[in-house]
Amino acid sequence: MEILIYGITNSVTLALMAIGFSLTFGISGLANFAHGAFYLLGGILTWIFLNQLGVPYLFSALISILLVGLLGFLLYWGLMLRLRGLAINEVIATLAAAIVIIEVLRWLGFSGFTYVLPEFIKGSVKIGNVWLDYQRIFLVGIGVALIIFFYLFTHRTKVGLSFRAIAQNERTAISLGIDSDWTAALSLAFGSALAVVAGLAILPLGSIDTEVGYDILIYALAVGIVGGLESIPGIVLASFILGFCQIAVATFFRAQWQTVVTLGAIVIILAVKPSGIFGKYKELEERV
Amino acid sequence: MLEVKNLMVFFENALALNDLSIEVNRGEIVSTLGSNSAGKTTLMNTISGLIIDMQVKEDRRGGERITLMGEVWFEGEEILFSKPSTRIRRGIALSRERHPIFPESDIEENLRISTYLRKDSEVKSSFDFVYSIFPPLQMLKKRKAGFCSGGEQQMLSIGMALMTRPKLLLLDEPLLGLSPAMQTSLIQAIKQIRKEGITVLVAEQFARPLLPIVDRGYVIENGMLTLQGTGQELRENPEVRSTFMGV
Repeated sequence: MEILIYGITNSVTLALMAIGFSLTFGISGLANFAHGAFYLLGGILTWIFLNQLGVPYLFSALISILLVGLLGFLLYWGLMLRLRGLAINEVIATLAAAIVIIEVLRWLGFSGFTYVLPEFIKGSVKIGNVWLDYQRIFLVGIGVALIIFFYLFTHRTKVGLSFRAIAQNERTAISLGIDSDWTAALSLAFGSALAVVAGLAILPLGSIDTEVGYDILIYALAVGIVGGLESIPGIVLASFILGFCQIAVATFFRAQWQTVVTLGAIVIILAVKPSGIFGKYKELEERV
Repeated sequence: MLEVKNLMVFFENALALNDLSIEVNRGEIVSTLGSNSAGKTTLMNTISGLIIDMQVKEDRRGGERITLMGEVWFEGEEILFSKPSTRIRRGIALSRERHPIFPESDIEENLRISTYLRKDSEVKSSFDFVYSIFPPLQMLKKRKAGFCSGGEQQMLSIGMALMTRPKLLLLDEPLLGLSPAMQTSLIQAIKQIRKEGITVLVAEQFARPLLPIVDRGYVIENGMLTLQGTGQELRENPEVRSTFMGV
């Protein structure tokens, strides 16, 4: 029972962490290694607005989401524009941006027990013989809502469709009048904003630690690689596989082994099916 | 309607189009004939503006230098250096060679993506228009485009260009790799498209099925114009017959 309930919440947490990364990579082919940094930055910005400037929670959250989204947009125009299509350079550039953001935040001292985001509703409920706090239930709700939103957004709206068009065949998309730079910048902005949404849902479960900037990136990568980077069912399935494995390992062995599970999954999948469970192998030229 | 004057295109130092001048009048079907690497696709990309996008991107990453010289006039305006999206708004649409569609989307979604620049209120009439020209697309609209046959993908590719409701439709090798039966039905579709008031410029190397419906044509070799004339004249020209009709 414990494994089931914590497995589900843990799985949805992983899906939340991965969804923004997957949007940007799978949809417009940009590997945003600053994903974890944006997640962290969003949490800390919200904390600053809330506790230092006295802005109400809802507004703090919204402003942070918008600011980080804007930062993602600027990251594209300032840095990624020239590197588009050169995968390794994209990775190096965004990872560099991530390290700058995370290490500056660490230097400023945003780490430790003072930095706690409020839960949406305090309290917990007993399911069977397991105590579950409301925040985790919310988290599952937000995760499910985001995945539905993500699907509808990329299949029903003009902007979402243009993201998928650019991902599938950039030059054809351009020949139909879609501006590839604008679309890619928007997708990076959306992905970054989603990182903050995930952060606001997940961070209240503990205190903010700058390390999560790196952890989130690894989790997002693991989910993306296991599931296939451009596939929504892949993200969901991979989150559940990894989520349950982590909880099972933590229950039967020791909690420290969780990271090993995540990294081990990356290695196994890369060895067996490098494109992920649902992914399709894409030639580099197709993306350019 | 469209006038290309003394167009020269360089990829680095290689000359792809050399002092090329062509003209397309409203309501015509005009063809540019040429074998592989003659410069047909470069001409299409230059008219549709795709080359401007390639130029910007190559330049940005320090890649191949693309140089354009000459003039391209569309409806009284010089458009040589305008963006593809600007040209689509003006009414130029391109169906690229080898029918590059969006393989993971179904046919309907492919067409919907193509209405990116159009108002929501105009989308439905565009769908009706395209389905009236290519009825098979309506029957297959829920099929993933990547699973469609070459002929269906070619119809889709032209349909996607038509979704933008162009005045001038550019077709880059629409008959490439299709069965003779499929070629015939595409030729019929092109005739119908012209009947709907859309001017067509088509680049091809299969002249036999195409020339009967062409008003005028140009022959391009190594980026240079070598021959021009009406469809009838080209069909009777011995050089065209031996090179492009296999006689």
